[in-house]
Amino acid sequence: MSAVSVQAIVGAAPSPIEAPDVDYATISPLLIILGAAVLGVLVEAFVPRAYRFVTQIAVAVVGVVAAFVATVVVGAGLDTVDGEVTGRGGPTAMGSLSVDGPAVVTWAMLLFFGLLGVLLFAERRLDGGLSAFTSQASTPPGSADERHATRLRIEHSEVFPLAMFALGGMMFFASANDLLGMFVALEVLSLPLYLMCGLARRRRLLSQEAAMKYFLLGAFSSAFFLYGIAMVYGYAGSFGLAEISTAVSSQIGGQNLLLAGMALILVGLLFKVAAVPFHAWTPDVYQGAPTPVTAFMAAGTKAAAFVAMLRIFFVAFGGARWDWAPAVWAIAIITMLFGAIASIAQTDVKRMLAYSSIAHAGFLLVGMAGLTSGDGVTSVSAVLFYLVAYGAAAIGAFAVVTLVRDAGGETTHLGRWAGLGKESPVLAVAFTIFLLSFAGIPLTGGFISKWSVFAAAWDGGAWPLVVVGVVASALALFFYIRVVVLLFFAPPQGDGPTVAVPSPLTWSVVAITVAVTIVLGVLPGPLLDLVQQAGAFVR
Amino acid sequence: MTEYTPVLVLAAISGAFAVFSVLIAPLTGPKRYNRAKVDSYECGIEPTPQAAGGGRVPVKYFITAMLFIVFDVEIIFLYPFAVEFDLLGWFGIVEMLLFIATVFVAYVYVWRRGGLEWD
Amino acid sequence: MNGLVVALALPAVAALLLVVLRDMLTDRLAAWAGVGVSVVVAMLLLVTWVGGDGDGYVAEVDLVWVRSLDLHLHLGMDGISFPLLLMTALVTALVCWALVDDPPRGDNATPGLVGLLMVVLTASIGVFAALDLVLFFVFFELALIPMWFVIARWGDPHDPVGRRTAATRFLLYTVVGSALMLVGFVTVWALAGTVQIPELAALGAQLDGGWALFAACMIALGLAVKTPVWPLHLWLPDAHAKAPTVGSVLLAAVFLKLGTYGLLRVFVAVLPGPARDLAPWLGLLGVVGIVVASLACLRQADLKRLIAYSSVGHMGFVVLGIATLTEIGIAAAVFASVAHGVVTALLFFNAGSLKRRFGTAEISVLGRGMYARMPALAVVLAFASVASLGLPGLAGFWGEMMALRGTYEAAAGADGAGLGEALAAVLLVGALLGVLLTSAYFLRVLRRTLQGVPTPHDADTDLAGSERGIAIVLVVAVLVLGLVPGLVMGVVEPSIPAILGGAR
Repeated sequence: MSAVSVQAIVGAAPSPIEAPDVDYATISPLLIILGAAVLGVLVEAFVPRAYRFVTQIAVAVVGVVAAFVATVVVGAGLDTVDGEVTGRGGPTAMGSLSVDGPAVVTWAMLLFFGLLGVLLFAERRLDGGLSAFTSQASTPPGSADERHATRLRIEHSEVFPLAMFALGGMMFFASANDLLGMFVALEVLSLPLYLMCGLARRRRLLSQEAAMKYFLLGAFSSAFFLYGIAMVYGYAGSFGLAEISTAVSSQIGGQNLLLAGMALILVGLLFKVAAVPFHAWTPDVYQGAPTPVTAFMAAGTKAAAFVAMLRIFFVAFGGARWDWAPAVWAIAIITMLFGAIASIAQTDVKRMLAYSSIAHAGFLLVGMAGLTSGDGVTSVSAVLFYLVAYGAAAIGAFAVVTLVRDAGGETTHLGRWAGLGKESPVLAVAFTIFLLSFAGIPLTGGFISKWSVFAAAWDGGAWPLVVVGVVASALALFFYIRVVVLLFFAPPQGDGPTVAVPSPLTWSVVAITVAVTIVLGVLPGPLLDLVQQAGAFVR
Repeated sequence: MTEYTPVLVLAAISGAFAVFSVLIAPLTGPKRYNRAKVDSYECGIEPTPQAAGGGRVPVKYFITAMLFIVFDVEIIFLYPFAVEFDLLGWFGIVEMLLFIATVFVAYVYVWRRGGLEWD
Repeated sequence: MNGLVVALALPAVAALLLVVLRDMLTDRLAAWAGVGVSVVVAMLLLVTWVGGDGDGYVAEVDLVWVRSLDLHLHLGMDGISFPLLLMTALVTALVCWALVDDPPRGDNATPGLVGLLMVVLTASIGVFAALDLVLFFVFFELALIPMWFVIARWGDPHDPVGRRTAATRFLLYTVVGSALMLVGFVTVWALAGTVQIPELAALGAQLDGGWALFAACMIALGLAVKTPVWPLHLWLPDAHAKAPTVGSVLLAAVFLKLGTYGLLRVFVAVLPGPARDLAPWLGLLGVVGIVVASLACLRQADLKRLIAYSSVGHMGFVVLGIATLTEIGIAAAVFASVAHGVVTALLFFNAGSLKRRFGTAEISVLGRGMYARMPALAVVLAFASVASLGLPGLAGFWGEMMALRGTYEAAAGADGAGLGEALAAVLLVGALLGVLLTSAYFLRVLRRTLQGVPTPHDADTDLAGSERGIAIVLVVAVLVLGLVPGLVMGVVEPSIPAILGGAR
C-alpha cells in the first residue's frame, strides 16, 4: 500500500487499484449471522427494556434460520472440483475464505448447534421467570446492587448478540483459507465466549473465575497460535494455505522454522479443542460457565476448532505429514486415556461432561490420523460426522443439567442426582441415551461415529490408536455406567433431586437432541453420505 | 547479511542511548523528594488503600480509554483510505461506509447504555 | 413379508407399546402379552424355517444399512442358528409366564420388566440371525443394557448393594470383552474389505497370517468372556445368583449361547486358519473350566451359585466340542447349547421357586427331606439335576457324549481335527474326570436337600400355577431332546460343513 501511495503522491500515472471481487452470495451465511449480531447490538441500544429479551430472541432465531437456509442454497450450488483431490466448491473472497464441501457442512452443523444454544439461552421458566444470566455482570456477587437489579428484573440480553458474534467467528474459523484470517476468526469466536462464561446468575464467583481462567489460557493459546503463524510466514513467505502447501512440498529450506511454526500452531489449536496436556481450563470453565453457554461452547468450539485444525494440517502442512503425525498420535493417546481415567474420579456432572469432552477430543484426533483421501471413510468425513453426533449429545446432556435443580439453582453434584429415574423417568432416560452415545454403545450416534473414526484411522495405518481408543472407550464406559446406576438404582439423598418444569424451549432441545442421537445411530446413512459427498478441503 | 548492518548499528545506538540516559540522570539531576513523588502511579488521583465501596476499582477510566482506542484504531484504517479514495472507486466508499457504520453501532451502544456518563 | 424380520421387529414393537401403555396395563395382562408375543415369534420362526428350501440361509435378507461404511442389514438362519432361535423364543415365553404369578417388586412394574425382556428377545434373535459382523456386534451390545437393568433393578431383594455390584460387574466384563471383539471385527474388515459373514466364510483360509491371528485372538477373547471360558467367568456366579429368576434363566439359557454361537459363526467359520492355531488353547481352557467349575460346585452353599458354576462346566464341554473342529464336535456344541438352555432354565426356575418361598437359596436353610415336604418340586429338581449331570435318555447326555466322542476322534488321529492326538487324549481324561465330579456335586445337593428326615418349614408349599405349567413344559422338552435327539441333529447336520468349510 505504501509503495503505491508514494507513487501517487509523486504524481506518476495513478492507475485505479483493482477492487477486490467478492462473491457475496457465497458467503451470505456468514454475513447474515454477523448482521444479526450487529442488529442485536442496536436492539440492545434502542428497544425498551420490557421488549428487549423477546426481540433479541427473534433476531437471533431469524438470523440463524436465514443463515441455515442460505447455507443449504450455497451448498447445493457448489461445483465439483476434480483435481489432486475430489471436492466441491473452492476459495472465494480473494482466496481468504474457502467455501468448500467441509466448510458448508460445518456451517450447517454450527448453525444447528447455534439454534439449540439460542433456545437454551431463551429459557426463562426455570428460575422464577428470569434467564440463566445475571442481571448486571458489573455488580459484585451478593451485593445490594445485585439484589436491586434482580428486584427490578433487569436481564442480560447481550448474550444473544454475543452468541451470534461467536457463531460468526466459528463459521469463519472453519472456512478461513489463510492463517491471518484464521487468527481473526479465532479471536472473534473466543472473546464473546470469555464474556458469556462470566454471566451466570447463580454461583457468580465460580462463573467469574471460569471467565478469567478461560480468558487467560485462551489468550495464551492465541499467542502460541500467532507465534506459529509468524514462523510459518517466515518459512513460506505467505499466509495463504495454498502457498504454504506449495512451499512445504517443495521444501524450500529452513525446515526448523517450519517445524517450530507447526508445533506452535498445533499447540494453539489443541488448547481450543481441549486436548491433553492443554486441557486444564476445560473442567473449570465448563463447570463455572452458565450451563446453556457450556452447551453451546462444548459443541460449537470443538467443531469449529477441529475443522480448522484439519484444514491447516491437511491443506497447508499435508506435505509434512510425517513431521506432525507422531505428535498427533501421542497426544491422541494421552488425551483418550487421561480423559477416560480422570472422568472416573469426578463427582460433579458438569466436570464429568468436561472430562468426557476431553476424551472425545482424543477420539477425534484418532480420526485426524486417518486417511486424507480415498474411497472409504476419510478423516474429514469421519470427523464431521463425529462432531455432529457428539455436539448434539453434548448440548442435550447440558440441557438436562439445566433442569435438575434444588433451592440454590442447578444441582450438579452427582450424589444429588441419585434417584432421578424415579423423579423424572423421561429426563433420566434422555440423559442415559446421551451417556450411552458418549460411551459408543450401538444404536446411538456415538457408535457409528466411533466406528467411522476408527475405520478411517485403521485405513490410514493408525491401528495402535484404534486399539488404545477401544480400550479407552471401555474405560470411560465404567464411569458412564456408574452415573446410570446412580440415576436409576441408588436411593435418593434427602428429598432427592427436583426437576424443574421448563418451557417448551428446553423440552424441544432435549427432544431434538435425543432424536438426532438415535437417528444417527439407527439411520446414519443420509448424514454419512452428505459428509462423504462434501469431499476433501479445496484450497 | 550486509543489508542488515545499518539495522544492527541503529539498534546498538538506541540501546546505548537508553542505558546512557538511565545512568546519567541520577548522577547529574537534583534530588528533591516529596510525598506525591514516592507514591505509586495512579493517574494523579490521591491513592487510597481500598477503592470506595468494598474493594472494587471504578472502571470509568478504562471505559473511556477503550473507547479512545476504538476510534484510534478506526483512524488507522481511515487514513490510507482518505489518501487513496479516488483510486479505490465505489467499492472503497461502500466498504468504508460499512466499516464506519459498524464502529458507530458500538458507539451508539455505549452511549445508549450510559457508558459515557461519568457518574 | 420375511418371517425372520417380523420375528425380529415384533418384540421390539411390543416393548415400545408396553412402555408407552404401562399405566393402562395390569401386571397379569403385561405378563400374558409377553407370553403371547414370544409364542408368536416362535411360531413365526418355525413356519419360516419349515417354509424355507433348506439350501443356504433361510429367509435371508440383505438390505444396505449404511452405504458409506458398507454395513448391511443382513439376516438369515441356518441349521446352527435355528435351534437356538427357537429355544430363545420359547424360554422367553416361559419367563414371561413365570411373571404371571410372581410379579416383580414395585407398583405395576411388570410392563417395564416385560418390555426389557422383549428387548432382550429382539437382541438375541438379532445376534443369532445376523450375517454381518457389525450387526452381530450391535445386537450383542443391545442385549446387555436391558439385562443389566433387570439384574440391578429386580435382583436379590435382600442385597441391594450386592445386586448392583453384580450387575455392574456383568456389564463391565462383557462390554470390555465386546470392545476387544470390535477391534477384531475392525481388523477383519481391514483385511478382507467386507463384514458380510457369508462372503468372509467363502474367503475361508485366505484370511491368515499375523493380523488374522490377532483378529481371532481379539474375537475369541470377547466371546470367551460371554461364554464364559475359564478364567474369564468371574462375572458369572454373582450375576446369576443375584439376578431375579427371570434374569437367571435368560442369562443361562440365552446369553451364554450368544458367546458359543459367536465362536461358531464368527470365529471358526470366518477365521478358520487362526481358529485352528488357537483351538488347542481353547480346548485346554474348556477342560480346565469343566474341572475347576465342578470342584467349585462341590463347595457351594447357595443353590443358585451352584447352578451358575455348573453352567461354566457345561460351557466347557461346548468349548471343547468346538475346539475339536470335528463335525461331531460342532454338532455337540449346538446340541449342548440347546440342551443346557432347557435344563438350566428348569434348574433356575426351580431354584427361583425355592428362593421365593424361603427368601434365600442357601442349601442349609432349605432343609432336608423335600421329597416329603414338597413332592412335585423335589421330583422336578431331581429330574433337572440328573438331566444336567448327563443321564442317558435326557437332554444333557447327548451334548457331553458327542463332545467327548469328538475329542476321542481327535485323540485317535481323525483328519482335520483341531487338537493334536496327545493333547486330545489328555483333555479327554480331564473331561471324563469332570463328568464324574459333576455327578458328585449334583448328588450331594440332592442328598442334602431332597432326602433325609424331613425338616418342615412354614414356607413349604408345592409347585402351583404357572410354576407347575413351566415345569411340565420344560420336563417334556428335556425328555424329547433326550429321547429323540435326531430332531435337533437333523436340523444342525446339513449346516456343519458351512461352519467347518474353511477349516478343512
